[in-house]
Amino acid sequence: MKLNLFKLALKNIQSRRTRSWLTILGVLVGVTAVVALLSIGTGVQEAVLQQFEDIGYDIILIAPMGSGSGQARAAMTGMMPGGGMQGRLGTQASDDSDASAPVTFNPGALQSSSDEEEQPSTDKGTQHTTRAVQTALDTELLLEQVPQLIEAGTLGTQIQPVDTGSTSGFLRVSTPSLDFLNAFSSVLGGFEISEGSFFSNTTQNQVVVGARSAEQLELEIGDSISINSVPFTVIGVLASTDGDAEAEETADDGVLSGQGLAQNLGTGMSTDLVLRGLTNTDDALFVLNERASEALVGRTMMSVTITRVESGASITETKDAINVAIGQQDATGTPISIQEVADEIQGTLSLIETVLASIAAVALVVGGVGLMNTMYTAVLERTREIGILKSVGARDGQVMTLFLIDSGLMGLIGGMLGLLLGSVLSMLGTRLLGPSLGVGSFTPIIDAWLVGGVLVFSFLLGACSGVWPAWRASRLNPVEALAAE
Amino acid sequence: MLVLQDVSKTYQMGETQVHALRGVSLELAPAQFSVIMGHSGSGKSTLMHLAGCLDVPTAGQVTYGGLNLSELNARARADFRATEVGFVFQKYNLVANLTALENVALPILLQGKSSKESRALAMQSLELVDLGDRVSHRPSKLSGGEQQRVAIARALVNGPAMILADEPTGNLDSATGDRILTLLRDFRQDDKLVLVVTHNPEIGELADTLVSLRDGLIESHTTQEVAA
Repeated sequence: MKLNLFKLALKNIQSRRTRSWLTILGVLVGVTAVVALLSIGTGVQEAVLQQFEDIGYDIILIAPMGSGSGQARAAMTGMMPGGGMQGRLGTQASDDSDASAPVTFNPGALQSSSDEEEQPSTDKGTQHTTRAVQTALDTELLLEQVPQLIEAGTLGTQIQPVDTGSTSGFLRVSTPSLDFLNAFSSVLGGFEISEGSFFSNTTQNQVVVGARSAEQLELEIGDSISINSVPFTVIGVLASTDGDAEAEETADDGVLSGQGLAQNLGTGMSTDLVLRGLTNTDDALFVLNERASEALVGRTMMSVTITRVESGASITETKDAINVAIGQQDATGTPISIQEVADEIQGTLSLIETVLASIAAVALVVGGVGLMNTMYTAVLERTREIGILKSVGARDGQVMTLFLIDSGLMGLIGGMLGLLLGSVLSMLGTRLLGPSLGVGSFTPIIDAWLVGGVLVFSFLLGACSGVWPAWRASRLNPVEALAAE
Repeated sequence: MLVLQDVSKTYQMGETQVHALRGVSLELAPAQFSVIMGHSGSGKSTLMHLAGCLDVPTAGQVTYGGLNLSELNARARADFRATEVGFVFQKYNLVANLTALENVALPILLQGKSSKESRALAMQSLELVDLGDRVSHRPSKLSGGEQQRVAIARALVNGPAMILADEPTGNLDSATGDRILTLLRDFRQDDKLVLVVTHNPEIGELADTLVSLRDGLIESHTTQEVAA
């Protein structure tokens, strides 16, 4: 009997095509939004989790100063592909209209705590923040102090005045230590030299330039530039990471962004040295930490020490030991494990996903109200038809079921189409949003739960929206219904 | 036998009470062509609705074959309509988006019978009213007479014990109307109770049993010999 009612409901939908499609459209929009946001949100979470897994949960970061997790998360954000701080170098000449050379700096995720800050200063057209030089950890000593640690390296970041002779401004200078490059090359993304070479020694003032910096500053291999009034020689230019085919290729190889660094330092390092992160390599300069500590003083923003815990050691106990070591070195810093950072970022992403899904759900509810309106109108329009059905023996329950199937079907059709459209949009959204979300390329997650949930929910939404109209229809007096015009 | 015993029906129209039937008692036998006549507002349609379990009386009782229809709940009344009653209305009351065949099959489909069986029975019923070649037409593509014949086919499809027709020729020309009446009268041969409600005295002349209503009361009740 239900099958017969199903066919009748389908007939009703077909006979009111325009209105049915408009109603379905309302549900479709809501479902599309929900599917796209949930699948992208889940995809981002999976991608982030994957990045942390790639980095490894045996890593402990020692973030500079502050209270810990926020700092470390900021540090991690800075190291995650595509995330973190952005620095732009440009002319500080009077030609402010030169759009190709904006001079801005957003301290972003790599700020140190306020009690350590100097007052920010603002130049014409330029925002930058100078910081006190932090008391850096001696990583070799740290390895001795904390036997659970098997590797340690330093990654510094500075904002420095850069002068090429024709152009000047402030630019981010990333300062990975040799230890860092040696120990963590496999866990942090990377970059690729397109011209010249990578660092060959720690005694000369060498700089490797990001692709966009090189282009904007018109730098070539062998050029000399001044960083904080100290002369440096450009020895390499990195390949661009601007979402191009190369970046995608890299992503396909399992590196979420950045490029593989295929130059050795002449120190026995892997030729496939990769440094994931250091983020936004296009706009940065790279100087070995060992040189930076000698040649570049002042304006040090932050230095993150990254350590690896030996297999089987307790992360918590190791953190405690690191804290003791930091005190003994009279240095500053807060250890935080990758797990803690991951948990915090996951929590934030989940919250964002919930908020976005809630907003999308509102669209879905609006679609449901539209469906209810359509069904209510249909009851009014089909009053005589209801009377006919009752006169030929339809029970109240059958009339109600007929309308419920009618509205449920529209909900289900809207759900199916919304699922398809949402999937397509999430695929497109992935390509568009991936780089800006800081997770590079990722895949939206559309699993059986999402598909089943959406279909069931959209049918129930349709059916529930039709409950009241259907109930009204079922309660109509057949004599009055037959008399309706 | 359809028996109405001291049946009254009162409608509430705003603050006014309308007494459609006032203590009507009547017996209508099967295998007869019964006609209820009366002017508008006389209560004849109300009587038909009560007889067909579309409505319940305010007072009194309606019984059919010993079954007190007045005491049935909504579901039982629906089941009674589905199995024992076939309605024919002045406005045909066909479902616009269904074909002639689907309209006729509707009562059977609602009983849960298979689509195949429903179509077969509907086809038989349509052939009975000479519409076997119009099965896939929607009501809008059929003439008034054809629509009324579809309605009659639908009324017959369940093999009901009584056919209740409310002004079945009201929207038809006289020739088509005569054809419909002949069709309806023929059903009494199948031992069916055929009850026609009309204000047309010409139909009254064809009745085996003629009941005249006026202001909710029986004005006259006659049974006459009618040539078959």
